[in-house]
Amino acid sequence: MVAKGDTFYAWAADAACQERGECGGAVTALLTHALSSGMVDAVLAVKKGQDIYDAVPTLITDPAEIAQTSGSLHCGTLLLSKLVKEFLDGAKDMRIAIPVKGCDAMGLYELAKRNQVNLDNILMIGLNCGGSVSPVLARKMIREKFGVDPDDVVKEEIDKGQFIIVTKDGQHKGISMDELEEEGFGRRGNCRRCKMKVPRQADLACGNWGVIGDKAGKATFVEVCSEKGANLLDAAVKAGSLKTDAANPKGIEIRGKVENAMLKLGDKWRKRYFEGLGEGKDRLKKIMNDTSRCIKCYACIENCPICYCVECSTKKSYLVEPGQVPPPFMFHLIRYAHISDSCINCGQCEEHCAMEIPNSLFMHALQVDLQEMFGHTPGVDMELPVLALVEEKTERKRLADTGSDQIFNIFE
Amino acid sequence: MELKYVQTTCPYCGTGCSFNLVVKDGKVVGTQPYTRSPVNEGKVCPKGTYAHEFVNSPDRLTKPLIKKDGKFVEATWDEAYDLIASKFKSYKPDEFAALASARVSNEENYLLMKFARGVMKSRHIDHCARLCHASTVAGLAASFGSGAMTNSILDIAESKCVFVIGSNTFEQHPLIGRKVMQAKLNGGKLIVFDPRLTPTAKQADLYASFYSGTDVAILNCLMGEIIRNGWEDKEWVSTRAKGYEELKKVVLSDTYLPENVEKISGIAAADLKTAAEWIGTSESSALLYSMGITQHTVGVDNVKSTANLQMLTGNIGKRGGGVNALRGQNNVQGACDMGALPVVFTGYQKVTDAAAHKKFADAWGFPDGICEPKNGYEVTVMMDVLTDNPGELKCMYIMGENPMLSDPDLNHVKHALESLEFLVVQDIFLTETAEMADVVLPAACYAERDGTQTSTERRVQMWRKAQNPPGEAKEDWQIISELAARMGYAKQFPYQNIEEIFTEVAAVTPSYHGMTYERLNRPEALHWPCPTTEHPGTPILHIGKCSHPDGMGVMHAIEWKPPAEVPDDEYPYLFTTGRCIWHWHTGSMTRRSATLDAEVPTGWIEINPEDAKALGIQNKEMVRVTSRRGTIDVATKVTPDIKKGVMFMPFHFAECAANILTHNALDPIAKIPEFKACAVKVEKITEA
Repeated sequence: MVAKGDTFYAWAADAACQERGECGGAVTALLTHALSSGMVDAVLAVKKGQDIYDAVPTLITDPAEIAQTSGSLHCGTLLLSKLVKEFLDGAKDMRIAIPVKGCDAMGLYELAKRNQVNLDNILMIGLNCGGSVSPVLARKMIREKFGVDPDDVVKEEIDKGQFIIVTKDGQHKGISMDELEEEGFGRRGNCRRCKMKVPRQADLACGNWGVIGDKAGKATFVEVCSEKGANLLDAAVKAGSLKTDAANPKGIEIRGKVENAMLKLGDKWRKRYFEGLGEGKDRLKKIMNDTSRCIKCYACIENCPICYCVECSTKKSYLVEPGQVPPPFMFHLIRYAHISDSCINCGQCEEHCAMEIPNSLFMHALQVDLQEMFGHTPGVDMELPVLALVEEKTERKRLADTGSDQIFNIFE
Repeated sequence: MELKYVQTTCPYCGTGCSFNLVVKDGKVVGTQPYTRSPVNEGKVCPKGTYAHEFVNSPDRLTKPLIKKDGKFVEATWDEAYDLIASKFKSYKPDEFAALASARVSNEENYLLMKFARGVMKSRHIDHCARLCHASTVAGLAASFGSGAMTNSILDIAESKCVFVIGSNTFEQHPLIGRKVMQAKLNGGKLIVFDPRLTPTAKQADLYASFYSGTDVAILNCLMGEIIRNGWEDKEWVSTRAKGYEELKKVVLSDTYLPENVEKISGIAAADLKTAAEWIGTSESSALLYSMGITQHTVGVDNVKSTANLQMLTGNIGKRGGGVNALRGQNNVQGACDMGALPVVFTGYQKVTDAAAHKKFADAWGFPDGICEPKNGYEVTVMMDVLTDNPGELKCMYIMGENPMLSDPDLNHVKHALESLEFLVVQDIFLTETAEMADVVLPAACYAERDGTQTSTERRVQMWRKAQNPPGEAKEDWQIISELAARMGYAKQFPYQNIEEIFTEVAAVTPSYHGMTYERLNRPEALHWPCPTTEHPGTPILHIGKCSHPDGMGVMHAIEWKPPAEVPDDEYPYLFTTGRCIWHWHTGSMTRRSATLDAEVPTGWIEINPEDAKALGIQNKEMVRVTSRRGTIDVATKVTPDIKKGVMFMPFHFAECAANILTHNALDPIAKIPEFKACAVKVEKITEA
């Protein structure tokens, strides 16, 4: 029997699935098995839209369509967690399998704490993630740094510290990520600072790190992270849709090294970004200056996996005078107060900001400070957040207005 | 459960942002970012964030309505078509006028143009471009031979100096505002001249407020300073421009010395000199303007002056430069391109040109011919003709426009529309204009249709259908085609889908000739001119040569003239109008979007604290504002962000309609009204 903590090399039994998918197509095979066996009602995954720079979320109920989501797209900067809340009723009445990056998984946990999604109904297939690149910047990078027409690129990957492209005439070209990022290209700022590279809070954590020997490139490294994950793996193997081998001990070691190197890189970027913000008054001044160009598009709120209130405080006229552009600074202060203890650094507030405000950087910097002070790490388990001081009566009412909320026991 | 993303382009301003509509079980339930768009990279303004909110509003029109005894009665399409066809047939060609729409697709504007000129054989077709950028089309065509924004949106971010005059870019073209911000973050300088300290102005390195209507004086002054200091691009003016000597003579005259223009405009001489230096010495300088330049009786003069400045400094046909006329509506560029103007067919082919006239008559194949090869009436002139010469125009077909709120001097517009014998309005809501109609036809909104629209940077992009229209509502192209068939012209309107119409447009329009749906379906789409199917499109115009037949740019020597109506003892305040970020024009969509309505539920008048003090009025107090045309009551917003002596109102709100006050004085060439300057008085309301 498979158990939590076990590690495997896994690949799809089906040759077509192996071909289409990345690293032997294990994730595609697992999703297909979960859906066709009735373990879940639907799969929420990402497929290629107009080209490799266009990632589109798709809800699949026909197993035959899962093939569309095979392979990876590093220029997709989507966060799937909030879609589950917004458009799939929080998976309350539907069992859904979702391939998740670290930020997707963290977002789902934070929403689950707030009773906005039902994790019991969600099967998370974790994907190791070294970061993603915004699509338009990726095209510019390929044109200017690689000297290649971005429309001629058929595949891109991030491997061994390089961003690698494959052109339609079969040529490979790679440039070191460090070099690209020094020049303002490469991964998004939040991805650079990210330290959730192997999402072990998912049910399975899958990736190519640590696959060595004759299986290199032909199998996926799978770490079993929960009983649900173990059951899926077991069932997929029993049904003959997935093949596994024990992970090579040397491979396990290499995987650990890769992960550690990525975490160190994350620390390096955090230091650099946070130091750039300055301290105390200087930091406040920078935040006030940058947010002064806000046009109040609400993208930071609408795309934030922590924001869920039915009655948003930023829309209370006694807190934030409505209709003003730029909005009073209180608009941003409310966000810092409400989000920062739970910010998962998914970067959506910055990725979608119409005015180039480094929202994610500001919030993440606060979160890291709060984590040091209170020891709470968001997005990894169901531990409740440390909330800022609140008026209990008002806060109870506000939370009650959202329907039901598990954060009530902060007053106990 | 079925959940899908439908990528489409925004129905609001002319920036051309894309987003995804989220469709759940056949209904639009939300919007989500589309990060692959080269224009906005998934980012949108508040109108974009909440662009789904009005789509399934209970107020949507779902059935044709026929007015009987002053009341609307629901009707079948057959009844409506029969009534309209019999009425339309009863009028002579030039008794009919059509208003096309900057809100609907290129295909549908083309079709209404074909309907007016082919089925009705009338010369009279226009649309609301008349009210926003008619002076751009005329002015830039005179200067460069092409009446459109010269550069692309992405290009603005590369400029070393951005000069914004008469545009509140952050609120009116927010994602172009982002490009302005990027230019600034890249080290470029930002100059904003505006009567109000707008959100755009607040980001400026140099801001100055000025009296509305003094633009030519300001621009001439800047040019004079540039020439006096030798900052002009000598090669450009000597090899690429005509008319430099005449221009030089005017701008160097004493009238336009900074010290004198300070008195005219209210901008300190030192600021004028600084601006001239930055514009004159920067490696590249982009000029952005919008309605602050165009909506004047001297709109065409203003536009030509912006072109003069950019030619003088060699910023035409160059990255990071250009005259960036920011078009207002989502498809106002396209509606003009499609010939929904009284003087041109598609691609600005002149109606009066015998060859062009024959080309369209032959291509369309109406057995009984098309309209005369003569120019028709502009919308502003139509309204004057209706009131001043009763019986000349008798019937009107309005698609997706709301002149009862958008046009100047609303009492006059009401009088004009009441003078019609028969009015058909096709829209998605029962607008103020639709309420005056004899027949109302329910149309599909942007989320319910395919088709193309052309953004301000001449980029032709796709709309994609996300859900079915409500009830019996139909897409505009279907309505026009069915009505044409009912009038006996089924053969000329044989379309099975909207793509067939685009194919016809491309065939008769040189600047769209190389476009197909397949090519436009790429996220980058195509900028016109795109003459062949291999042509990559043209993001920047006038590189190497301008679009005039001789390739030269034309400089125009222009003297400043004051607005048609200036403050006097009786009406002591200069009144100017505009918009806010939360609402779109007449509010029919945005005021039905709960989030946007909650931000700004009604209108206001901006008053400088000193003026407020003199009048004895407080912030948020209801006051009475009167011009020579009418009176409204509106709440004040007392703010130092507006110049003393100047008052501002947004025009979105029917209950306090700024256009009751505005002046229907027209630019003599473009026939654009002077929305940006008239005289008003403001009174405290005292209880009787």
